[in-house]
Amino acid sequence: MDLSAFVSAFDAAVEASLQWIGDHGQRFFDGVRAALEAAYGAAHWLALALPAAAVALILAALGWRALGPRFGLLTGAALLACAAMDLWPQTMSTLALVATATLLALVVAIPLGVAAGFMPKLDRWLEPVLDLVQTLPPYIYLLPAIALLGYGPATALMATFIVAAPPAIRLTSLGIRMTPKEFIELGEASGMTGWQMFAKIRLPFALPSIMAGVNQSLMMAFGMVVIAGIVGSGGLGETIYKAIRTLDVAKSIDAAIAIVILTIVLDRLTQSASAAGEGRAR
Amino acid sequence: MSTTPAGAETLIDCQNVWKIFGANAEAAMQAVIVRNATKKDVLQEFGCVVGVSGASLEVRRGEIFCIMGLSGSGKSTLIRLLNRLIEPTGGKVFVKGRELAALKAAELREMRSRHIGMVFQSVALLPNRSVLDNAAFGLEVRGVARAERSAVAAQALAKVGLSDWLTRYPSELSGGMQQRVGLARALAADPEIILMDEPFSALDPLIRRQLQDEFRQLTKSLGKSAVFITHDLDEAIRIGDRIAIMKDGVIIQIGTSEEIILAPADDYVADFVAGISRLHLIKAHSVMESLEACRRADPGLDPAELLTTTPEADIDELIDLTMRSTRDGLAVVDNGAVVGVVTTRGLLRGVKGGRGDAAAR
Repeated sequence: MDLSAFVSAFDAAVEASLQWIGDHGQRFFDGVRAALEAAYGAAHWLALALPAAAVALILAALGWRALGPRFGLLTGAALLACAAMDLWPQTMSTLALVATATLLALVVAIPLGVAAGFMPKLDRWLEPVLDLVQTLPPYIYLLPAIALLGYGPATALMATFIVAAPPAIRLTSLGIRMTPKEFIELGEASGMTGWQMFAKIRLPFALPSIMAGVNQSLMMAFGMVVIAGIVGSGGLGETIYKAIRTLDVAKSIDAAIAIVILTIVLDRLTQSASAAGEGRAR
Repeated sequence: MSTTPAGAETLIDCQNVWKIFGANAEAAMQAVIVRNATKKDVLQEFGCVVGVSGASLEVRRGEIFCIMGLSGSGKSTLIRLLNRLIEPTGGKVFVKGRELAALKAAELREMRSRHIGMVFQSVALLPNRSVLDNAAFGLEVRGVARAERSAVAAQALAKVGLSDWLTRYPSELSGGMQQRVGLARALAADPEIILMDEPFSALDPLIRRQLQDEFRQLTKSLGKSAVFITHDLDEAIRIGDRIAIMKDGVIIQIGTSEEIILAPADDYVADFVAGISRLHLIKAHSVMESLEACRRADPGLDPAELLTTTPEADIDELIDLTMRSTRDGLAVVDNGAVVGVVTTRGLLRGVKGGRGDAAAR
């Protein structure tokens, strides 16, 4: 059999199946799209409900509490800089996208990670799937998403969800499996039920690892949300994409700075939350 | 040293218990039963390791039972068979008359949470809980309301001298204090039996001695029974009413410390006890000679002229008395009657670890 014929047959099959899924799952994907857009819409509305100064103040206060006055003041100033660059609505769109996608990813990833932590078999199955998802270039996820969900934030959310979920799944599963043996023994010798063992022993010990997974997912989401500017996600990603197409270097640098600010603020805040959890667990 | 009446109720009854580790454990067990396969056979033919082989012991109410053995002797496996943290491959374990292997999951949980406490070498205090919440852990598992379990846990912590530390976290405590919390956690659940898995091994010698004495005193005053694992014969003698000596998964000898020192079952045990000081372990009744034997050697002997002592006096006291005496010999008086005489020769034999005149016993 001619190899190129085989390849083109393979390609045709992929397209046909995507077409088939699109045709037959039309109503399902319309529903998914509506749900994703509603979730994003709510987050977006929330982020823009307050004036820029108020949001900057809230995040500055959080930063001050978690990491000290220097970080707090820098956070406030940096966010106001986003507003000063005339990028406030875009910054908030990006925040809403990242928050929604990460939340969705965690809702799926944490229970799945817990299940994988308890079931070595499931873990063995998940491992290669997660490897695949994490090694494919993230752009790839935009194509089927755009075919099924159309141009817009729903596609951006779906692709971001796929990229953000794996680290949280892995680290949750790891955390559950890593419960120190002596504490399992303590639980058994104390006559604990399976549920008590999970809630009172495994989960507290897994918490630092789970929180590290949350942080990792958030960072992956940031990376993807910018790429998703190509499919009309809105926000800073789209600003950068448009600036690139018009070779507006200055604008693209502005937007990039805004992304860096947002990323660093959220990264440090979630890291300090996970460090606080770990500190209590030590 | 023995303060347990011999007729006391048996709490733990371990009958010819085996634990073989490995995928072919069942087949290996059969080989042991049918053709007396040795430990070596089991390893070569089945790739299995024998952890505990044919262990039988009884722990009576109110008794502290020590299991002494070096690492790899199977003592940690044996103690875990007593609350079924490890399933036996052969034999039966009865706790309070019920066979552990026959208990359903819920019954086993009930048994563990109410009747058998456990204290670990690693202590295993939950780092994210205060000392009080750690001590209340067993009660929390049992579903006791917060106010009540805190009150009971605070009492248990008071018993181990940690009343001032309730709100602290484990990382703020020294090793000895952490182990006290571990003991309080076991006591708070108020079990009849406490399993102690080398609890004091990681502590420095002074703290260890102190905790040993406290543990013995506390267990006795609360009327608890305990199985205490140790690799240290001094510790076993200090704490235990009876001692089982284990080697290669086999219990070689069970007895009081005096019995083990006076009549070691084999060379292994004899080597072990060789370095142990006899001064406080061997009692007058073990080294005394009969009155008749003494009269034969010295017809003019009049027991009324000798200083008197009791059968339970240890060698240390007997030496002090002998040095104050003008005559050779101490009269051992029990219930107003002279039951024997401790001579200087008998005393020296006792220091060396031998018995007195066998006929006198």
